[in-house]
Order: sequence, then structure tokens, then C-alpha cells
Amino acid sequence: MPDYKKPLPHPTPASRPFWEAAKRHELQIQRCTKCSAHIFYPRELCPECLAPDLQWIKVSGKGSVYSFTIAQQATHHGFAEEVPYVIAIVELDEGPRLTTNITGCKPEAVRIGMPVVASFDDVTPEMTLVKFRPA
Amino acid sequence: MGNLTDKYCIVGVGETPHMRPSNRTTLSMACEAVKKAMANAGLEPRDIDGMTSYQAGDSTSSNHVATALGIRLNYSLDIFGGGSSTEALIAHAVGLLEGGYCKTIVIFRSMNGRSGRRMGGQAPSGPVPPTQAAGDQQFYMHWGWTTPAQWFGMSAMRYLRDSGATTKTFAEVAVAHRYHASLNPKAIMRAPITIEDHQRSRWVSKPLRLLDCCLETDVSAAIIITSRERAFDLKQPPVFIMGGTARTMAPSPAWNYSRPEIHYVAGNYGRNRLFGMAGISQKDVDIISCYDAFTFTTTIQLEAYGFCGKGEAKDFVKGGRLQIDHELPSNLSGGHLSEGYTHGISMVIENVRQLRHRADDACPRWEEGIHTYDRKAGCRQVKKARIAACLGWGTEATSSSAILRGIIG
Repeated sequence: MPDYKKPLPHPTPASRPFWEAAKRHELQIQRCTKCSAHIFYPRELCPECLAPDLQWIKVSGKGSVYSFTIAQQATHHGFAEEVPYVIAIVELDEGPRLTTNITGCKPEAVRIGMPVVASFDDVTPEMTLVKFRPA
Repeated sequence: MGNLTDKYCIVGVGETPHMRPSNRTTLSMACEAVKKAMANAGLEPRDIDGMTSYQAGDSTSSNHVATALGIRLNYSLDIFGGGSSTEALIAHAVGLLEGGYCKTIVIFRSMNGRSGRRMGGQAPSGPVPPTQAAGDQQFYMHWGWTTPAQWFGMSAMRYLRDSGATTKTFAEVAVAHRYHASLNPKAIMRAPITIEDHQRSRWVSKPLRLLDCCLETDVSAAIIITSRERAFDLKQPPVFIMGGTARTMAPSPAWNYSRPEIHYVAGNYGRNRLFGMAGISQKDVDIISCYDAFTFTTTIQLEAYGFCGKGEAKDFVKGGRLQIDHELPSNLSGGHLSEGYTHGISMVIENVRQLRHRADDACPRWEEGIHTYDRKAGCRQVKKARIAACLGWGTEATSSSAILRGIIG
């Protein structure tokens, strides 16, 4: 898909495992080996206990919508044909929250608290985005 | 009260018109604003020896403005930031003056916010160039989550659900600020609106409509701060700085979306410092500027700064409470929703004018502090305006504030 016009993530050393897992259609987040806190976004130190030993674990991909907004006006040319589209915060069953798009239903059908599940969108040969759809 | 309460004063204010477009450089506009602020205070370039500004990679800098105006600086600093910067730089100025780094300091903002760099990065002539979703942005940009209406729309949606408010709560803010703009010859949007007008305006990013969103303008504005001893000899009635907060933050400010309540905003963490330093309570405040990038940001900060309880804004804003001649007039210039967009500094300037009793309205003798209080004749001056709270907003997790005191009215 050389004509993919939307912005693409630029992984950092800390976040690269997240994006590599997404490419394998797995949702992975970090867990502190010392205090067991689940962590997102990817980072180098546990924000709870400052331990540097963070391990990547596969999570269920299940969660619920914490909040969302329905973009009715395109503010980026790559999304000009998408409006209206849903931008959301999903709270994973494991606790941390991710930002995402909700697909697979009409924007008007999205509700706070709605159960959702991760889905994987291979937008380019190198990059897969983790979106969510109604569970 | 704080050690420095009432020790430093705002003595000069000035701005360019709000333009769309300006067809000018940010340097040209900044020079006009600073020159007007000096004239307003009765100061000469040789009297100014400190200068700070804030910007988002979209402005000129202190060294250019000082050069153009023949000012030699003992202190200068240009910081990065939008809303929440003005009050933070006021706090910063108080510290600098107290420390003896300079004697009289200018704070300015200059931006082609409509014709140049727009918030969210949209270019004036159309589509933005491909944007790198790097750093934090790697978890934002690719969702088409690129502008403030979408960022704050997310918090607004959850707030409505948790508080039981409806978008009519937001409408009350839009109506009040627009009414004030109708009394402000400088404002861009001056035709009064109704709750129904708000409810009929088109969606931008649900639950925010067009009339929930601020304007985008090309403008520069400046304020001048010095010690109260110097202030007594200048042209205007002094406005004392009683206290403030400077970019107070909620936990996890760079990833607000993980906080237990994303709409429990930074003002909740700053309000006791603000009122404690000023030595007053919310009931002592006559007027407020409550940052209105969106109607939502005003709404949520009424709660955060303790003017009403958590979740109570929906009742608090009813009956025109935020309008002039009511209990807590908000954004008397019309604010960013209706006057124009300056990332906060114009709201502080309006409070200064109100506290001097010199709102620049349709009253023929406003410059002498003589007003008719006839709203139908275009008088914008609040009768009793002794204490103003300036409530700045950067993001849900970042806020600055200042309480100012006048001696007239």
C-alpha cells in the first residue's frame, strides 16, 4: 500500500516490541517484574516503582470503551474520506488504557462502557495498527 | 497570603487588532503590541529591561523585538507553549523582579494563528504535509487524532456521561461569552447567539459543535509588569498580582488518558495554592477569565477552581450566571470563543482593563474610567470589579492561574 496517506507511527527503542507484536497480530504491553504493574504506553522505567526490569506480555485484547469522540470534520488530508470516524480510549481488562479507532460498527453505535476487542489492520507491509471493534 | 502578594503590578497592556489574515510578520505585530503597552503604561523603551514570550514554533523572539524597539535587555527568555503560558510567565516575572534580574518586564505573544501555523498543524492553504507520528505522537496521529477539538472532545464526552450535564451546559458558556463580545468593539464575532443557535451549529468532533470552538486569529498582545513602587508613578491605576500557579500539572501529564478521571483537570491540583497565596476565597472574586479554547474548558475549570462543586457546573451556569451583571461574569472581552485567539494573554488584558475600570467599550469617557453601565448602549464595564481570577488552560493536565486586584470600583 504505497499510497497510504495517513501518518504512520515511528517506533522508538522503548516502543518497538509493541509494534513488532502488532505485526504478528498480538497485543503486547509491558509488565513490571518487580511490582507486577501493567504499563502502557511503552517506557523504560516502571512508573509505580521505578524498576527498570519491564517485561513484554501478551494480553487478551479485550476491554471496554472509556471515552470517545466522533470526528465529523477532517483535519488531516489522509482522513478526508473517512469522516465521520471514531477516536477512542479503550481500557483493557488488564487495566491500562490505549488510544485507538473503533471500527466494525456505525460511529453512532459507540457507547462508553461498550465491550470491545482488538483487531489488527495491516496498513503497510511494515506497519500494523491495533484497532478495536465491538466484542 | 504569599510573601510577594501585591508587591508587583501589571502596569501596561496593548494589542493589535484581531485579524484574519494579518498580512504581517509576527515581528511587526509584536512591535505594535509592545509599543502600545509601553504607551499605555507611560513607559519608554529605556525603562524596559526584561522581556519574555511564548510560542509554538510560530513566532518572533524577544531579541528581535528588543532590537526593533531600541530596548536593551537585562533578562530575556522565549518559552514553548500555548494556553497556560501567560499566567505562568506572570509568576515567572514576579520571581525575576524579586530576584533583581530586571526591573520592568514585558510579556508578549505574537501569532498568525489563522493565516500561518494553525493549531493541529493544518496549513492555511489546505491539506497538511505528511506528518511524522514520532515520540508521543506515535500513539495519537495515526488515529486521525490531530487537533484540540478531538483531544478535548474525548474528555468532554466522558465528562457529560459522568456529570449528567448536556451540551446545553456548553451552550450557556458560548452565549455568555458572545454577549460580552457584543459589547467589545475589538471582537470578531459580535452578533449575539442563543442556546438554540448553539444546538443547531454543526458538529466538529462530537460532543463539540462549531459554537463550542474558539476562533483562529492573527494577533499580538503584550503586558508589562513592574514593582508597585514604580507602578504608583505610571499612567494607569495599578493592578496588583495577588497570587498564582504556573503550569501546575495533574499526574501523568504526557499520557492524560491513563488517569482515573481524564476530566479531573489540573486546576483541581492548583486551586488551594492559588487562593492560599492570594489570601482570598472564591466568593471574593468579582470576575473571571476562564480559558475558553472550547466551551468545555471553561465549564470544567469552574469546577476545578472551586467556583462550584464537582459535576455541578450544569446547574451553576444556568440563568446567565456567567454574564455581565450576574454573579460571576466570565471572559468579558468575549474570550477566545468570540473576541479572538491569543493563547490566553488577551483574557488577562481584559481583566486588567476591568480592574482599572477602563474597559475600552462604547462609553465616550471610558479612558477616564467613566462608564454608563448601559449595556444597550455598549457599556462593558463591570460596576464592582475589584478582584479577578485568570484561569489558564494548557491541556486537561496543565493549568496556570493568577489572581489580580484593582483599587477602583
